[in-house]
Amino acid sequence: MSEFPTFEQAMQQMQGMLEKLPEMAPPMQMPPQQRADRATAVMVQNLDARFGTYLESCIHCGHCAEACHFFQVTGDPKYTPVHKLDLLRRTYRRESGPFRWLYRLFSQPITAEELADWKELAFDSCTMCGRCTLICPMGIDIAAMVHVVRESISAAGLAPPEIRAVEAEQATQDTVFGASPEKLKEVIGMLEQQAGIEIPLDREQAEMLVLTSGLDIMMNPRGLLATAKVLNHLGADWTLRSDGYESINFGAQVCDKEIHKDIARRRIDTAKKIGAKTLLLCECGHTYPALRWAEGIYQEPLPFEVIYISDYLGKQVQAGRLKLRRDGRSVTFHDPCKTGRVGGIFDQPRAVLEAMGDEVCETPDHKMTNFCCGGGGGGFLLNNLPLRSKVYQMKMQQFDATGADTVVTACGSCRLNFATAKMMLESERPIESLVELAADHLPDDEGWRRPG
Amino acid sequence: MSLLEFARGPAFQAAVAILVFGVFWRLLGVLTLRWGQRQTEPRASAAAGGVRTVFSRFWPRRGLSRNVRTGRFLGYLSHIGLALVVFGGVYHIETIHGVLGVAWPALPGSLISVAAVIALGAFLGLLGRRLMHPTVRFLSTWEDYFSWAVAVLPLVTGLLAGAGLGLDYATLLAIHILSAELLLIWLPFGKLFHGISFVPSRAFTGANYGRRGVKI
Ligand code: SF4
Ligand code: SF4
Repeated sequence: MSEFPTFEQAMQQMQGMLEKLPEMAPPMQMPPQQRADRATAVMVQNLDARFGTYLESCIHCGHCAEACHFFQVTGDPKYTPVHKLDLLRRTYRRESGPFRWLYRLFSQPITAEELADWKELAFDSCTMCGRCTLICPMGIDIAAMVHVVRESISAAGLAPPEIRAVEAEQATQDTVFGASPEKLKEVIGMLEQQAGIEIPLDREQAEMLVLTSGLDIMMNPRGLLATAKVLNHLGADWTLRSDGYESINFGAQVCDKEIHKDIARRRIDTAKKIGAKTLLLCECGHTYPALRWAEGIYQEPLPFEVIYISDYLGKQVQAGRLKLRRDGRSVTFHDPCKTGRVGGIFDQPRAVLEAMGDEVCETPDHKMTNFCCGGGGGGFLLNNLPLRSKVYQMKMQQFDATGADTVVTACGSCRLNFATAKMMLESERPIESLVELAADHLPDDEGWRRPG
Repeated sequence: MSLLEFARGPAFQAAVAILVFGVFWRLLGVLTLRWGQRQTEPRASAAAGGVRTVFSRFWPRRGLSRNVRTGRFLGYLSHIGLALVVFGGVYHIETIHGVLGVAWPALPGSLISVAAVIALGAFLGLLGRRLMHPTVRFLSTWEDYFSWAVAVLPLVTGLLAGAGLGLDYATLLAIHILSAELLLIWLPFGKLFHGISFVPSRAFTGANYGRRGVKI
């Protein structure tokens, strides 16, 4: 696959585009009171029995700070996870809580100014990684509520412009980073020609609908190529569809429920249209909860299985269907938060690595307690490198501690963050993708089977 | 009516009534809010996850206990000490018997005194942590300090009454009972409510992650 730019080369090209994002954000002018009202309405709408119970239960012990990478690398109390929920708690107490009549006498409603201040706490310094949820003695799911804070800041038109730009693109174009259907076709043509592999597009019926991502299409076609190679090798009956190929769901990242549902619904409709029994998600962590655990779109369970690529590969290995060449390196695996801690997929990617004869050296904090890459939840789009770079440094130290030669992950966004970290810290250790490694380790002696 | 009679009679009845009403009001107020819809196919049992997390959170997760050891340790000491005093003291058991009709053997008085002293020491340690630990101080509001005082007062007055220090026994006892009643009255309103809400709070998270196949 050497004819394509490496991930790091592609990332450097993308950097220029990311820097222009703020200029592309649509203006969101409105009076301050309207911003506050919209945010309050979103909060109240979201405050259900679960969140209410959480907000009634915090004992201000501060333990959650010790789990959060942003606190860990700065020591600044303002990054304490539960503090990121202050506006939500105030709104809950004033609007939804059992003593709201009392709290209204002694507290002020949230303001647009406060929402603007909280942007940094909910977006720049929270990747919704869920690590703090592990440590809280009350079991409070802080990340789930940061989601609500983000949604309310977005509703107030105060989300970071970088994020709003991509969100607007997805809302109107159904894709991101300019990865149009034409571009997809162009990339597929290029891959088929250069790699001599068939990538089925727009088949009317298929057992499996595969979603790729704007990141892979525009930046890392190797990811798509690798997925195609493995699926063809396994003889999967699969297709990509130009009317539903984007797995990235910015609605889920920015926490705009309507866009989230709209994008998810479209993907679901495409899968149903072609009679798919499986919907396979490419390496982009947030796509898994965005679709697999998207509630309230259909009133019944989906008529197909939603499976993440690392889960799929691992299960193929475990079932003995996928055999890989063994070359026995020492690797460490970074679990993307959204598929690991929030998704429960831990053993499958490791099974793939072991099938390649790799020795998996775990980081000091791994699997459930693994630290976020530093730029999840759309964080890598933000111009807040000074803060993120401290997390990058910590992550790199954790990788160093393993003594492994290579870092492997199964998320394009995590990889993007590590590639940035690698450049900044002049690290030599390669950062690889699980599916690309698997494709590179397919047995030589077997030709690519044709799909279907 | 003497102060002691007041404390044992109308004040006690009022405190219990406020406690029961307040706890129900707060619990119902929260639990009757909307319940989130769940249509996605679970990967594992939500109920099992919920039950598991209610218990698993009594102990910090391995790998995450590094910087919270002091807080956790003081938390255990204060809570266990307080529980021994409240549920092991002979007079306390008699009081509970009077209200609920159930009783159990009491612990020796000397053990109760030791438990009370340990609990008090742990509470002082927790206060010190709240005042000195930058993060905890940053998070703290007047309510954290008030609730601390309300929880500690019965311990202090109980120890004083037990030792017969300061005032005459009847007055000391009345003050002790009144301070315990203040705790009962405040429990449903402030953060002491975590003694009840920790169950649904942990269960919600356990169930939500449990259905995703994650043991949290
Ligand atoms: S979800 Fe992650 S980033 Fe956000 S507050 Fe919790 S630990 Fe920090
Ligand atoms: S760990 Fe939990 S209870 Fe403690 S401050 Fe954080 S959210 Fe509150």
